[in-house]
Amino acid sequence: MLLKLAWRNIWKNKRRSLITLAAVVFAAVMAIAMRGIQLGTYALNIRSVVELFSGYLQIQNKNYLNNPSLSANFSVHNNIINALKTTKGILGYAPRIYADGLISYKDNSRGAAIFGIEPDKEKNVTTFVQNINSGKFFTSDSSNEIVVGEQLLKNLDAKIGDEVVLLAQCYDGTLGNQKFKIVGTVKLGVQELEASLIFMGLKSAQSLLIMGGKVNVIAVKADNLKNLGAIENSLSEKIKNPDLRILTWNKVNPELEQAIQLDNVSGIFFLGILIVIVAFGILNTVLMSVIERFKEFGVVLAIGMPQMNLTYLVYIETLLLTFIGLFIGNVLGAAVNYFLIIHPITFGGELKQLYEIYHFLPQLRSTLEPSIFLNVSLSILTISLLSCLYPAYKVYKLEALKGIRHT
Amino acid sequence: MEILKAERLVKIYQDNGVPVSALNNINLTVSKGEYVVIAGPSGSGKTTLLNLLGALDKPTEGRIYFEGEDITTKDKNELSKIRLHKLGFIFQAYNLIPVLTAIENIEFSMMLLGISDKERKEKALALMDELGIKELANKRPNEMSGGQQQRVAVARAIVNNPSVVLADEPTANLDSVTAGHLLDLMEQMNSEKNITFIFSSHDKNVIDRAKRLIILKDGRIDN
Repeated sequence: MLLKLAWRNIWKNKRRSLITLAAVVFAAVMAIAMRGIQLGTYALNIRSVVELFSGYLQIQNKNYLNNPSLSANFSVHNNIINALKTTKGILGYAPRIYADGLISYKDNSRGAAIFGIEPDKEKNVTTFVQNINSGKFFTSDSSNEIVVGEQLLKNLDAKIGDEVVLLAQCYDGTLGNQKFKIVGTVKLGVQELEASLIFMGLKSAQSLLIMGGKVNVIAVKADNLKNLGAIENSLSEKIKNPDLRILTWNKVNPELEQAIQLDNVSGIFFLGILIVIVAFGILNTVLMSVIERFKEFGVVLAIGMPQMNLTYLVYIETLLLTFIGLFIGNVLGAAVNYFLIIHPITFGGELKQLYEIYHFLPQLRSTLEPSIFLNVSLSILTISLLSCLYPAYKVYKLEALKGIRHT
Repeated sequence: MEILKAERLVKIYQDNGVPVSALNNINLTVSKGEYVVIAGPSGSGKTTLLNLLGALDKPTEGRIYFEGEDITTKDKNELSKIRLHKLGFIFQAYNLIPVLTAIENIEFSMMLLGISDKERKEKALALMDELGIKELANKRPNEMSGGQQQRVAVARAIVNNPSVVLADEPTANLDSVTAGHLLDLMEQMNSEKNITFIFSSHDKNVIDRAKRLIILKDGRIDN
């Protein structure tokens, strides 16, 4: 009967209950849509960035992250290849070498960040090979072709087809030098990097730098950002090499993670404000509805209703309204998020250019991640119950006689 | 058999910090099955005395014994249990729960006692039949007249077979004919079920039917 009483009390003042319900629905839809856009866009941006160059995970020599040099290398033994081929969720892998060097064209010389790569394997892991800015990408077998950063080409005052000389300190400490032909340019968005970036074939790099079959990094593509922990554990288990480290994208690219965390905190803060505003709305309506019924409450207390039952009644009424509001809010929120997955908001103009500089897709896309619905629902439910504390306390302290005399 | 006993009851209210004496040295004994009317002019302390006897309020001084037990020392929860199990209340403004139907209002106190749904319904319907208000079963308070609401309130007050029913100005909002019918009903319940009734009223209809009349004046018993 308490439930029946609560249900009927809710609809006794339809307008007030509908306003409360609307507040809960509004908060749920707004929170779900905003979190959906935030998390959906983060995932999109992370994928854009890691698929451009770094990969979802990297296998590195344990010293490479802090000191990226030729000495931080490792041999690609069969157990590593087997681990990469047999671990579920890995879509591709690409070994790389990195070295500092000098590039010269005529009288111009510039510092160079040399990456030895295998374009055929990179195509399965990253997108920069496909995103050639001008010219073409060399093949994995080519021995004297390089692709340089757009800015480096300009700084050298060279053009595609010109021959340049590369000079670099080799693994054994000697100086290696070789002529290469520029066959294309890439644009990665980071001008500083583009001013020194050089891609060459892995075998060419190993030969130039006297690295034998060694590499510094293997970039790995995974099927899903969520599976990285499992893949990392599986690879560690299978490779079992204390000199190697398996790093997920956020450890390789901590700046991106920090930027996302910063944005995420501001998003959560805004949601917090939204939910607190709704909490005051709920507090106001529940308090009004309780004070309005003090006389009625006084009568039921006089009849002998235990004080706690009356407190439960206030909570049941709030819970019923909150649950209905959350149900509607979740359905509408899911519809909004689904719509934004199918029809993402796409930017144009300067904002698009800004996004593209950072290799983010110029889009706001949502997600139907269940944790969003769960977290938003639990937050609103918690805040509703907290909002109810004061009205419930007032009911708990109400004396039958004071209630009956209340006007 | 003595059911209620008040000894040297004093009740002093604070009105903006000024003590106001509502009851002064009241001594009273009510026996099982009595039909008592507490009468007196407005401000004489009728309702205050009824509230004290009904365990709704505590005296400033003095003792109240209900079925031999001192209820002035009981806490809020214990008094609530006494009201639920032993007492019935009828209010001047009926005070039915507006969102419940007549039968649900009658069932309400049985629900608090943990009586099963089926038994509640049967008992409430039987009582409504006895009081001639069965046709009101599914009506809500706003669909009933004052007299009908007060009959339902009487049913709600007696459905748990209380030892005492306290009625505060039960006829104040009713016309004389309806008030007469209601009083007939309560007299019938008093004689047939031996339920003790204590009224507070200044209505002549009620006072004339009193089997025992207690007149209050300025917080003291005057007769």
